Amino acid sequence: MSNEVESAQVSDATEVTLLSSSAEIESHAGSCDEEMTLQLLKDAVQSLPHHVVKDLLSVGVCSRCVLRILGSEDRIYCHPLLPQSILRSILEEVAGFKSEGNFQLCSVCLGILQLSYCDDKETMVKMESPNDMASTIAELVKTEGHQIDGFSLEVSVPQLILENESSLLSGMKKINESELWFQERMLSKCVSVKDVLKFAITKPLETLLDVKSTSAGCFRIRLTYTHKRASDNSVERNQGFKRRRISTGNGLHNVYDKAVITSKVCSDYSTNETISVTGRSSNILQDQETFEHLRIPIDKVSEPCHLVYLCYRTHIYLCGRYLKYSRNVSQTRWIIDEERMGEASVEEIIGSNILPMCRGDNYKFHAAGREDIDVRMLGSGRPFLLEIQNSCQIPSEETIKEIESKINGLENKLVGVKKLKVVSSQGWTLMREGEAEKQKQYCALVWISRPLEDEDVQSISLLNDMQILQKTPIRVLHRRSPLERQKIIHWMKIERISGSPQYFLLHLCTQAGTYIKEFVHGDLGRTQPSIGSILGCRAEIMQLDVTDVKMDSF
Amino acid sequence: MVDQAHKPEETALPNNLQQHHKQDEERQQQQQSVLENAEYEDEELHKLLVPDVTQLPLTPSSAVESNFASYFAPDFMKPGNDQYVYRHPNGLCVVGLASTHSAFKDKGEVSAVDFNVGKSDRSGMKVTGKRKKNAQHFESNTALCKVCTSDDSYIIRSCVKGSLLEVNERLIKQPDLLNSSADREGYIAIIMSKPADWLKVKSSLLSLEELKKLREAGSILPSHNSS
Repeated sequence: MSNEVESAQVSDATEVTLLSSSAEIESHAGSCDEEMTLQLLKDAVQSLPHHVVKDLLSVGVCSRCVLRILGSEDRIYCHPLLPQSILRSILEEVAGFKSEGNFQLCSVCLGILQLSYCDDKETMVKMESPNDMASTIAELVKTEGHQIDGFSLEVSVPQLILENESSLLSGMKKINESELWFQERMLSKCVSVKDVLKFAITKPLETLLDVKSTSAGCFRIRLTYTHKRASDNSVERNQGFKRRRISTGNGLHNVYDKAVITSKVCSDYSTNETISVTGRSSNILQDQETFEHLRIPIDKVSEPCHLVYLCYRTHIYLCGRYLKYSRNVSQTRWIIDEERMGEASVEEIIGSNILPMCRGDNYKFHAAGREDIDVRMLGSGRPFLLEIQNSCQIPSEETIKEIESKINGLENKLVGVKKLKVVSSQGWTLMREGEAEKQKQYCALVWISRPLEDEDVQSISLLNDMQILQKTPIRVLHRRSPLERQKIIHWMKIERISGSPQYFLLHLCTQAGTYIKEFVHGDLGRTQPSIGSILGCRAEIMQLDVTDVKMDSF
Repeated sequence: MVDQAHKPEETALPNNLQQHHKQDEERQQQQQSVLENAEYEDEELHKLLVPDVTQLPLTPSSAVESNFASYFAPDFMKPGNDQYVYRHPNGLCVVGLASTHSAFKDKGEVSAVDFNVGKSDRSGMKVTGKRKKNAQHFESNTALCKVCTSDDSYIIRSCVKGSLLEVNERLIKQPDLLNSSADREGYIAIIMSKPADWLKVKSSLLSLEELKKLREAGSILPSHNSS
C-alpha cells in the first residue's frame, strides 16, 4: 500500500522519534534531528521555482498546497511533527514573500491542509501539527470505547476543492506550459489533498492507538469535510444551465456567465464537472491578453470547512453450526400478514443472543441451505454465518464460549449452537463454496401401505448413487420454475422399528437440493423413482430430520 | 506374558524410545476418546430419531390429505362427470377424475388419454420461469383432455379458472394410471388460480362426504353403459 511506503520514506528520512510532540521540537530547536528535518525541508523548498511559489502564496494558496501542487517529491511537508508556522516561514523566506499578517484560509484546500476546520460545536479549530490532529482523533476512539486491532483511515473532502485545484492548474498550464520547471514537475498528477492529509496523520495515529493502519482493517475512521459554500452554490450553479453543472468561486460568477454566452462550448469537454470548469477558465484567460502574472480567479475563502469525525466498524462475522430441535421453529423470521409462522426462528434466537455481546447495530443471518419448519436439524448441525454490523467490539474467546453455553442452555431448548468462532469476511466465500455440491444426510420416518419385508430392506440398501428425476414439487411450484431436476441418492439404509410392521426409519444421503419428502411419497408421481415406486406400494413420510450437513471448512 | 529374560531389556529402554511409547499411548487414548465421543453423540442422536411407536397412527393420512384441501364437482358440465379439485394453500389446484366418475362405471377400463382437444395440444405447451410464462388461461369449462374407455369417451374440463401449469403427460403412455390411482398418480392437470376466481368456484364444490351422500342417495346416475 503506497501510504505505508511513503510514510516509511518520511520516517527514514528524518529519524525523528514520533513520540516527541511539536512543542518539544520548538523547545529543542538546536537538536540534531530537527535540524535534519528542517534542512531537508529547506532544500526541498529551495528547489522550487521561486517566482511561482511567490505567486501562489500571493493568491492565498497554503504552504502544503504549494508544495504538493509543485510536485515536491519528498513529502517532507507531510511530516507529522512539522508545525504550520515553521513550514510557512520557510516558504516565505525562500520565495521572498511577505504575508499580510492575518491567517488566511487556503484558496484551494479551504484550510484542510492547514489543519483548520470548524468542529461540531461550530468552533474554529486550528491545529499546529498533524500530530496534534492525530491526538484528537485518538482521544475520540478511546472515549467511544472501541477495542481495535487495526484501523483504516478514510477522508472525504468537498468537490469544490477539486474544482479550485483544477482551475488553478489549468491557469498555470496556460501560462507556464513551455517552462522547464513545469514540464519537470507538473505533467504528472499532483498528490491530492486527501492523500496529503492521510500521509500526515496516519503514522502518529498508529503510534497513539498502538495498532497498524491497514487497508483491510475493519475499523474505520472517517473524516468528512463539508463546506457551506460548496453546497450553497449548487443551486446557483444549476440555474441557467440545462445540462452542464458549473461551479465557481463567488467573485467570478458573472464572468462565467458571460463566458457561457460568448464562448463556444468545446466538443471535447468531458462530462466531468471539474473539467468543464477548466474549459471555461482557459477560455477566459485566452481572452485576457494583457496577462503577465499568474492570476488565479479564485476568490478568497472566508469560512473553513466543517469536519465531522466518525468511527465505525465494518462487519464482523461469526460462524458456526446450528441445531434445530423443534418442529415448530423456522430458520429465518417468517411472518405472513403480520402473523408469525412457527414459534420462533433460528435466526432470531442466535442473532439476538450474539448481538449484545458484540455491541453491534444489527445482524444478518446466512446459512448453508435450509430445512422446512417441521424438519429438525440434528447431528453435526448446519453451517451458518452471522454478520454483525457496526460492532464496537470483537468478542473474545471466552465471550464466544459464554454465548455458546447461553444459547445451548436456553430453557426452551429449541436451538443449539456448535463450533462458534469469529472469522474474517472469507467466511462468506467458504460457505458459498461448493454449497451445491455438498451432500446431506437425513433420517425419515416412513409408512408404507403393506408390511415391510426383509427383501425390501435388502433391495434398498443395494441402491447406490441412484439417479432420480424430480419435477418441481407442487408445494413450491407457485414460486419456483417448473423444471425437472436430476438428483442423486447416494445411499439408503432401512432401520426397522420394533413393534411396527409398516413404519420404518429410512436413513439416506443425497445430493444437495434433493426434495426428500417428495422422494418418499412421490408427489403424485412427479418424482421418479420414489420409495413408493421402488417398493411397489404407497409410501408416506411422517417426519424428517437432517442428520448431517457435510462441509469440511466449517 | 513377560519373560524373566526380557525384563532387564525393558528397564534398559533408552529415553527417547520411552517417550515415543508414551506419545503413542497418548495418541491412542485421544483417538479412543474421540471415537467414544462420536459413538456417544451417535447414540444421543439415535435416541432422538427413534419415534415412540405408541404414538404412531395405524394408517396415517396421506400426503394429499395432509397437504391439500379436497373438493368435488359432481356432474360437471355433464351428468356423471365427477371431478375432484385438490387445492394447496399456495393456490395451486390439482384436478382429476373422482372415483364416482362415469368412466369408471364402464365395462371396459380407461384405455387412452388424449390431450389434443380444443384449439391446441395441452401436452405440448411449455411453461417457464417463476412467473409462469406461456401458461394458457383456462376458464372452468375449457377442455383439458379426452379420456377413452373401450365403450365411450369423456371430455374432462378444467373446473377451475386459472393458468394451466402442467398436464400429466404420463397418462399418454400409461392411461392405466387412471384405473389404478385416479386420485393420485392419475391426476389430470395442475392449474394456478387466483384467490378471487377460486372463491367463486368454491361455492359450487362439495366435500368428499357430500359427494358420497349425493351418489349413494340419488342413484339415478345416468350412465353411458350399454347394459
